[in-house]
Amino acid sequence: MPAADFTLLDQAGVPWTLNDHLDTARIVVFLRGDW
Amino acid sequence: MISVDSPGQNAAMIEKLRLSFPMLSDPDRIGAIEPFGVADSKDPREIARPSIFVLAPDAEVVFADTSRDFADRASEDAALAALVALGLPATSPEEIESGPPEPGPRAMPLHAMEPYFRGAKFAVTAMRMRHADVAEDAAVYIAQMDRYIELVRALRGKE
Repeated sequence: MPAADFTLLDQAGVPWTLNDHLDTARIVVFLRGDW
Repeated sequence: MISVDSPGQNAAMIEKLRLSFPMLSDPDRIGAIEPFGVADSKDPREIARPSIFVLAPDAEVVFADTSRDFADRASEDAALAALVALGLPATSPEEIESGPPEPGPRAMPLHAMEPYFRGAKFAVTAMRMRHADVAEDAAVYIAQMDRYIELVRALRGKE
């Protein structure tokens, strides 16, 4: 099943879109954050 | 990497841990955390449960591992094996541009991380001695803490 596309802000506040970065495989890691 | 943290917090994390990949901000959880089904319903803030997904270039999910709760970590080795199995050519690290680092109020400085991980390890070691039924889980957690301690020492060696 394909992953849904998303756009989120990166560490510089610039929008980052998944589909724009699938020129190769990607590892997507979720962290708990909030610390 | 994706979390609820702000771009400034993520910039601070990249600077502290010298990361070479983007960190993305999903404060409302609606961009990726909820669509990927990793929101932690046990946490009042519904932050993401630690999870790893490997996506092929056609966006197909070829590996997915979501932890039970905040204390677990998904398997890096299994994720890397799934990535290698795709048979794609190696890529170079990306150039990362960050905004101003703005550590959150609970951000832990690098020098505090080793004592923190050692404390976590010893607490779990004590629990393992008292509760045989958690021995297997505890062994995984202790190995994880040993690995984090090693990584922090390597990072501090570069300070």
